[in-house]
Amino acid sequence: MNKILVGVVFGLVLGAIDGATAWFTPDVRPMMTGIMVGSSIKGMIVGLLSGWFARKVQSTKWGIVVGAALGLLFAFLVAAMPSPGGKHYYLEIMLPGFVVGAIIGFLTQRLGTQPRSTTLSR
Amino acid sequence: MDLNDSVLDHLRAIGDAPDLEGTRYVLEQEIGRGGMGVVYAAHDRDLDRRVALKVLDVAFAGEARLIARLEHPAVVPIYESGVLSDGRSYYAMKLIAGERLDRYAAGTASQAERIRVIRRIAEVLAFAHSEGVIHRDLKPQNVMVGEFGEVYVMDWGVEAIRGTAAYRAPESQTDARSDIYSLGALMQAVLPAPGSPALQAIAAKCMRTVPAERYPSATAFLADIDRFEAGERVEAWSEPLWHRVQRFASRNSILLWLLAAYAAVKFVIFFLRAF
Amino acid sequence: MPWDTDTAIGGNERRFPSTQLTLLEAVSQGMDRDALERVLALYWKPVYHFIRRRFGKGNEDAKDLAQGFFATAIERKFFERFDPNRASFRTYLRMAVEHFASNEHAASHRQKRSGEVVFEPVEEFASEDLSPEQVFEREWQRQLFGLAIDDLRILCKDTGREVHWLIFEAYDLTDDERPSYAELARRFGIAETTVTNYLAWVRRTLRSLVTERMRGVTAGERELREEMRRIWI
Repeated sequence: MNKILVGVVFGLVLGAIDGATAWFTPDVRPMMTGIMVGSSIKGMIVGLLSGWFARKVQSTKWGIVVGAALGLLFAFLVAAMPSPGGKHYYLEIMLPGFVVGAIIGFLTQRLGTQPRSTTLSR
Repeated sequence: MDLNDSVLDHLRAIGDAPDLEGTRYVLEQEIGRGGMGVVYAAHDRDLDRRVALKVLDVAFAGEARLIARLEHPAVVPIYESGVLSDGRSYYAMKLIAGERLDRYAAGTASQAERIRVIRRIAEVLAFAHSEGVIHRDLKPQNVMVGEFGEVYVMDWGVEAIRGTAAYRAPESQTDARSDIYSLGALMQAVLPAPGSPALQAIAAKCMRTVPAERYPSATAFLADIDRFEAGERVEAWSEPLWHRVQRFASRNSILLWLLAAYAAVKFVIFFLRAF
Repeated sequence: MPWDTDTAIGGNERRFPSTQLTLLEAVSQGMDRDALERVLALYWKPVYHFIRRRFGKGNEDAKDLAQGFFATAIERKFFERFDPNRASFRTYLRMAVEHFASNEHAASHRQKRSGEVVFEPVEEFASEDLSPEQVFEREWQRQLFGLAIDDLRILCKDTGREVHWLIFEAYDLTDDERPSYAELARRFGIAETTVTNYLAWVRRTLRSLVTERMRGVTAGERELREEMRRIWI
């Protein structure tokens, strides 16, 4: 399984789980399906980009940083989207999104196969 | 003739010195006693270098040949062998600058370095056993650690003499597994006392009274050491669940921290919103 | 053999066999007079000194006990019962002496009149700070070398090496300040390198003679090797 695929798969799964935790906020419970879908897509995109980054650069530290940054970015975009009730949940979306992005970044570094041409570094 | 004390001591001191007449060596000083003879530092006149000369008590030509057969970085290379004018055999070998393992063990080396030394000893044992040579008298006094960290094992193939019982296997018929026993004893001597239980278990497995219960070979021993250093489960030790969890946690610490961070963030937000 | 002539010895009270049997070999052949003599020659004095130190005996008493011990030992074929796997012959013999002498000591104590005190001159060799066992070993070493040097002197005389002997005596056997090689060369009218060679020859030969003496009182190669280790500094 190459790294991009690893990123996409884990991004999807982790995004779905992260979305599912919206259940704990009763206000948004009705919209949970939409949240989970959105979160999964967000995760997949972050995973795709992290996986791509991991193919180019082999560094656990930077993988985490890039993943976290991407996670934060896309979480912001999602949080900034206009919402039916007019309430924005910046904190609830961006902070976990940041950490989930970091996890995705870490996993893409540690798992998956390298393409042949990349040099190994520690 | 009745000799007084000082004359007696003088005679005792001179009688043993080997006469290097007819060889290319000049005697410098005694370095140590071991195996079947005494080791001296000497100067090789032809090649203008210092060597170690081992003078054997008994004409045992076999020892030199045995060692010369083993070409390995941890076996001291033999330069030449010969016979002294008084009938004793000798062989000249590389003079090692370094310290004996017992002194090394008392020093400040880290656990990782000590394991490396043990590993080197096991590697040379594996090699020697594959060549059909058994050490039989492996003990700290027979291992040197050189100034650059290189490890040398000496005094091969000698029948263990009364007095090194602490490192000698209990069985009377010695074979490769007796060397494994000694290896375990060495490990205990070199690694600090309240050490990792996995390492203690590895050493204990080497030192089982019944030879068949020990590691079958030095290679098997090395495999377990590899597993220990990789953070994997060690064959010698059935670890309690708690320790297994610890090991898992240390190997996957980053991931666990990240997951913990996620959970923490979630909790904090949840409680913030609740009030 | 490191000396190059045949051992043609004659005209001396002590015979010099060219090959010495080990103790076990001698025992298996019935412990003949030669073998016994060798054991006695080496061990008489150490046993005597040991008894004196260990039991605080005077000169005459110690001699009697030593005599008694050896007589009993020979009579009861003590040497034949030596088991090399358990201890060195030296230790075996010392323990037997201890056993024998303490029996006799206990017996004689019961007989002694009260108030009897014997003063004896202090032994000039035995130092005060050594244990009886150390005294035994020390005297054993002393006797061993003493006998080997006697052998050496006879050998030198018989092979025409008087100068070798004299140089050795002047250099290695002297208690005072050692002469230099140059002085010795002058004294004997030979070159300095010759002095070096002679001394080297004598020391080699002494070593073999010590080994030969040891061979006659050890059970075999292994014990011989171990005992040899203890002798040299």
